[in-house]
Amino acid sequence: MVDNNSPNKFIPYLREDRLPHIFCAGCGNGTIINAFLKGMENAGMDFDNIAMVSGIGCSSRIPGYMKCDSLHTTHGRALSFATGLKVSNPNLDVVVFTGDGDAASIGGNHLIHAARKNVNLTVICINNNIYGMTGGQISPTSPKESFATTAPYGSKDYPFKLAELVATAGATYSARWTTLQVENLIGSIKKGFENDGFSFIEVVSQCPTYYGRKNKIRTPTAMALTMKNNTIFKFEADKMKEKDIIGKIVVGEFVNKQHPEYSDNIQKLSKENFGDNTLINSAYEVLK
Amino acid sequence: MIYIDEDLCKGCHLCVYMCYQNVYAISSNANKKGVLLPYVNFEDRCTNCGVCEVVCPDQAITVNVNKNWWVNKDTNFNPRFNVK
Repeated sequence: MVDNNSPNKFIPYLREDRLPHIFCAGCGNGTIINAFLKGMENAGMDFDNIAMVSGIGCSSRIPGYMKCDSLHTTHGRALSFATGLKVSNPNLDVVVFTGDGDAASIGGNHLIHAARKNVNLTVICINNNIYGMTGGQISPTSPKESFATTAPYGSKDYPFKLAELVATAGATYSARWTTLQVENLIGSIKKGFENDGFSFIEVVSQCPTYYGRKNKIRTPTAMALTMKNNTIFKFEADKMKEKDIIGKIVVGEFVNKQHPEYSDNIQKLSKENFGDNTLINSAYEVLK
Repeated sequence: MIYIDEDLCKGCHLCVYMCYQNVYAISSNANKKGVLLPYVNFEDRCTNCGVCEVVCPDQAITVNVNKNWWVNKDTNFNPRFNVK
């Protein structure tokens, strides 16, 4: 039994001096922090060996609240920085937190090429269907006929399907869940850590402040209810016609396979041609 | 016991929505931040599933109920069968 003053079990991983965090009431980012930490515990990862990389956006503020090494990089280029980090130090477990505008809009090419090269990263893409930080503009993953600051008559475009896109581009693990299916999300994050290759987990999250306000679903619970009603599982969606799936959130695992990995290939190349692994130029090794 | 940290809670009421046993209820009086805090109404109903703990975006809820002890050990552990 834990004593009465026991803190929450996720708070030891967070920077307590920065809490409560800046996210709005009911934002899904906090849920994803918890699910990430629980998935990391279930996978048996070393928290000191994890490096977190993020770009710009609401979701990219998450590594700032974690008590581990983190890197806050330029807009959309989080995956490029993470690739460099992983190739130069292959022992590190690199986790990338991106948003939908970060990964799909400005960093779209970085996303598909990181998936094509199959770099050993765990990418958690928080998809809240809108640009939350800059004031509610339409994003590449906004559903058809949804409203935003830059779409006052409703968006007429079809959204990106990020999990399917990454699966087609050659990633070895790709899944999509919402913030309400926490157990599945924890299992997916655990599988993403254990998978040797590019693991992409798209989490559809609620944004009551901007998406909810523009689309007349203002409270977090109403957004959660709308999200739950629009969710269909992948095995169910395979049997349905394509016109019935428009506007729904298809959740499930899209790909789970084995494939040669990028940093292993580079080490193998170095061993074959030069007889040794690539150098790690660490400041600590010079001091020794 | 189920603890709710009143300094961290922002009053999104996702715990009220997600709890399938309706353990939580919303208080009628706002605190000094203007937040309608949830409170534990029926603690004996809690099955220690841990969903509210994970789903709380502000890390405010701690569940410490001495029931369904296997839930916290390993999520893949099946208590009914010894053979997988």
